[in-house]
Amino acid sequence: MLLDYDRLGWLRAALVGFTAAVAAFLLLPVVFIVLLSFGSSRWLAFPPPGWTLKWYEQLFADSTWIDAALTSARIAAMAAVLAVVIGLFASFALVRGEFRGRQLLRGLLLTPMVLPVVVFAIAIYAFFLRIGLAGTTIGFVIAHTILALPFAIIPITAALEGFDKSIEDAAIVCGASPLQARLRITLPSIRIGIFSAAIFSFLASWDEVVVAIFMASPTLQTLPVKIWGSLRADLSPVVAAASSLLVGLTLCLMIVTALLRRKLSR
Amino acid sequence: MTRSFLSIRAVRKTFGAFVAVHDVTIEVPKGEFLTFLGPSGSGKSTTLYAIAGFQDPTSGDVLLEDKSLLSVPSHKRNIGMVFQRYTLFPNLSVAENVAFPLRVRRRPDAEVKRRVADMLALVRLENFADRHPGALSGGQQQRVALARALAYDPPILLMDEPLSALDKKLRQEIQAEIRRIHRETGVTILYVTHDQEEALHLSDRIALFKEGRIEQIGTGEDLYLRPASEFVAGFIGNSNFLPGEHLETAAGAATVRLADGSIITGLTAAEPFSRGQKVRLMVRPEALSLTPGPASTALQVDIVDTAFFGDRRRVVARTASGDEIDVRPTSDATDPAGAIAGSGRRIYFDPALAFLFPA
Ligand SMILES: Nc1ncnc2c1ncn2[C@@H]1O[C@H](COP(=O)(O)OP(=O)(O)O)[C@@H](O)[C@H]1O
Ligand SMILES: [Mg+2]
Repeated sequence: MLLDYDRLGWLRAALVGFTAAVAAFLLLPVVFIVLLSFGSSRWLAFPPPGWTLKWYEQLFADSTWIDAALTSARIAAMAAVLAVVIGLFASFALVRGEFRGRQLLRGLLLTPMVLPVVVFAIAIYAFFLRIGLAGTTIGFVIAHTILALPFAIIPITAALEGFDKSIEDAAIVCGASPLQARLRITLPSIRIGIFSAAIFSFLASWDEVVVAIFMASPTLQTLPVKIWGSLRADLSPVVAAASSLLVGLTLCLMIVTALLRRKLSR
Repeated sequence: MTRSFLSIRAVRKTFGAFVAVHDVTIEVPKGEFLTFLGPSGSGKSTTLYAIAGFQDPTSGDVLLEDKSLLSVPSHKRNIGMVFQRYTLFPNLSVAENVAFPLRVRRRPDAEVKRRVADMLALVRLENFADRHPGALSGGQQQRVALARALAYDPPILLMDEPLSALDKKLRQEIQAEIRRIHRETGVTILYVTHDQEEALHLSDRIALFKEGRIEQIGTGEDLYLRPASEFVAGFIGNSNFLPGEHLETAAGAATVRLADGSIITGLTAAEPFSRGQKVRLMVRPEALSLTPGPASTALQVDIVDTAFFGDRRRVVARTASGDEIDVRPTSDATDPAGAIAGSGRRIYFDPALAFLFPA
């Protein structure tokens, strides 16, 4: 091959250096935020003059932060469940169905991923204002479900495409009704895809900020909205602490996903 | 056979304008091992799927003990099936795979356990009960699939090229297992394959498919010794085809002139030929010999190549008109290789294993 890694010579060092630089560029801000959240400087001075946990104490003492986190978790969980259920039906139709416009439907279901979020946010906000869903949990969940749907459909269709339909047919000749065959054989066999879909949909909602800013009301705020609002009001290290927790939770979910996938795929 | 068991009556299946199966009719007695043999795309699987219920025939009927199966959904037909591809349930262990059909039938636990043990013993995989399918070889997976398909004692077992993904040696081993299992269980088996040796090895009867029709149905011997058409003769066993011209048929014995000018007499004609009609003479390689026989069945040839295979030799001969002939004489000591070589030799054939077909 033209770009055989083992034969790159000096280019190899350059490639490693470049990759490291990109990784650092992506990761350093996160590292800074985490460091600052433990720093004693009220003004986010770097390097921090000393170390403290008081920003975390303040964070946990403030019920609006806790509320925001719980709201985020609740909305993300509901959006994830809905996205996975709808994603399952949609994936069966997309993978198994033989109807005209199948590719069109696939494209349509995946548009939320490529459509500029702000366009989607304005559109759905305007619509929800009119029907009275703006600022409600239901409105939030619907909007986030739509945004999360591609993240559910992609892993589920991939898993379903990798699952031989003959196996389902075998379950049916064995005496299982088509529904039983799907519930008892097909779904468990594609569980890795379903599980990934759940995690990715959850995360898509959990750290979504643009639609959330439009949809939020004074009484209904998600964590990213709260962070954004606090940043504008006063730049306190509490925000850094909240952001660090957000990063921490996301990281935990990713690690759990990786571990479970490894376990399930054995 | 007093009463019909499985009847396939004028089953036809079309996909758009394409006719995949043309009015196939077969009566299958209970306990028979019937093989659908034929080239890829000849409609074998489609016919099998009509019995399994995965394809609704365009017309025709499938009856089991005089009751039509067509209105019965697949999962209620109580038919066993082993697929071409590996279809063990990846989320279940071997034992749970075999237990699955019994569980969906809500059989009591004790019975399920006993049955699973019996079935795994039948396919000789007792020690693999707790494995997962991913940890089995292809041959083992197909044996588990067989155990699963037989677990609920189905009246009919369908097998769609179950061994085609396995290597030759393993294939022969499992063929022997399938024969034994057929003998021990007495289940009626409909088996699909494109491998004529496999069909000959396994079957009571073979239905040879060609382009969606049954070209001939009968025992392996029928198809081998009495092929109804050139297609059958060419598909089953090895064969040499020599072009020629029909001269006359008298008292059932036909005389032809081959392309190299030699005259052959005493041939059985499958159908009446007119004088001068172009024909093809088919001779089985093992029907040819270098031991002298009557001149009426002699061919004048040059020996092009010989090879030794232990129990047989393979000799390639060529006629004056350039047709190559494959000869498989037994390699006895009286027929040393040295004597075989050379040009201007005569080879003789047994007219009982030679067939005349229209060209
Ligand atoms: N679902 C289908 N749609 C269109 N054509 C099909 C379908 N299934 C089978 N065929 C066609 O029907 C013919 C017979 O197929 P099949 O029964 O699978 O052959 P075999 O099993 O003998 O190889 C083939 O030409 C195949 O392309
Ligand atoms: Mg087939």
